[in-house]
Amino acid sequence: MKPMNFRRPQGQHRSTFRSPAGTALILPAAVLALSFSSPAAAQGNVPKAEADAKLRYCEVCHGVSAQGFHGYYPIPRLAGQPTEYLKNQLQAFVEHRRTSNIMFNVGHVLSPAMIDALTTDFNQLNPKPLGGAPKENIDEGKNIFENGVAAGNVPACASCHGPQAKGNGPFPRLAGQLYDYITAKLTNWEKERGQNPAQPDISAVMQPIAHSLTQPQIKAVAAYLSYLE
Amino acid sequence: MRALNSLQAERTSRTLVRAATWTLRSVGSRVGLAAGALTIVLVGAVSAQHRISLSGDIQAKISYCKDCHGVSAQGFNGYYPIPRLAGQQPEYIENQLRAFIEHRRTNNIMFNVAHSLSPAMINALTAHFASLNPPPIGGAPRRLVATGRKIFEDGMPEVNIAACAACHGPEATGSGQIPRLAGQLYPYMLKTLNNWDKERGRNPTVPDAAAIMSPVAHSLNRSQIEAVAAFVSTLRPPRGTPNTVQ
Repeated sequence: MKPMNFRRPQGQHRSTFRSPAGTALILPAAVLALSFSSPAAAQGNVPKAEADAKLRYCEVCHGVSAQGFHGYYPIPRLAGQPTEYLKNQLQAFVEHRRTSNIMFNVGHVLSPAMIDALTTDFNQLNPKPLGGAPKENIDEGKNIFENGVAAGNVPACASCHGPQAKGNGPFPRLAGQLYDYITAKLTNWEKERGQNPAQPDISAVMQPIAHSLTQPQIKAVAAYLSYLE
Repeated sequence: MRALNSLQAERTSRTLVRAATWTLRSVGSRVGLAAGALTIVLVGAVSAQHRISLSGDIQAKISYCKDCHGVSAQGFNGYYPIPRLAGQQPEYIENQLRAFIEHRRTNNIMFNVAHSLSPAMINALTAHFASLNPPPIGGAPRRLVATGRKIFEDGMPEVNIAACAACHGPEATGSGQIPRLAGQLYPYMLKTLNNWDKERGRNPTVPDAAAIMSPVAHSLNRSQIEAVAAFVSTLRPPRGTPNTVQ
């Protein structure tokens, strides 16, 4: 568990292309980066005021603590989400692997440095789940999540999403996610994810699983997860 | 009652079963009269009479609301812009009526209107208003509509203005406590967005969903507000636009 006040050290560049040769190469690398990308991205960080303003903007729709919100659509919880998952999804909107006009517009103006700042902030939030789901099938949902449904060829969700549904890398955290959001995604997986045939992605892993789940099983799992802290 | 009882005695048992399930709408024919009397006996005279009087009261109350909100609740430019209620989300109207009572919205006229309404009356009124879909009254500058549509649908991500459609829906029909904006009066939209913090969330001891709009209203400048207001004021989604939230 990271401490809540963790902040990325100022100036650290989180590029995955960072030189393995050591610190001596970082300065030339940064200078090189400057000539190819915008100044903001090349700095490797964004002014705190700018990042905070963007965070408030995200939270208008995703909830004041990013716990999710019921707008016209169920707007997902981002709090506690793995940074890698969030980055991949933002890219998915830009690349039309997920089709959302609103999130396309949101995603395509974000610099890599801003995405670093935002995803780090969301990852560290841990508000209580929004709740509101029916409670009668939570036990069944817990059982499906932890053990799968062998007879229906449904693997245990926990094997990828973790025993506490915290997610890992590209696998999303599901703990505390909105009931109707999970229900909608699992019910319509092929219309929700992997929408660009030219860019196959990891969402293909979930496709047969989403198909194997019956509607009552989807609702049970979604209800269980929506209350999980 | 004695005469009615002897009349009932002539009816078959089938008629009796049917009569017991009929409502007072069947009053009129001789059979209906017997059925009506029997219904009163079975369900209790007081509640049946209460239903009649509530239905009369509802019609009177609807007319009363429409005196100011327009004959089809399409909104009306009185001394103030008086908002459209037609097609509005029932949960939104109910929450706003409560907001007037709890001084989350400060309006002497609407405080007085709201605090005399029973829960049953509020249910009846909100259901009625939700069912209406008259054309917008119009009057906004047309030249602003295209810009307003862009802001409504896409927001302005570069300057952190959220897309209105995310919460109000792609056709501005609203959802739950989130209001329908389609067809809302241009001047009402201007007044509300330009003065958000003075219009909504006025009771610090009763925080409400109005807080969500506060940063959005602040992030919009005057000309952007005019554009969005002009756009939504022209919208007329089809009646019963499905809400995609399950």
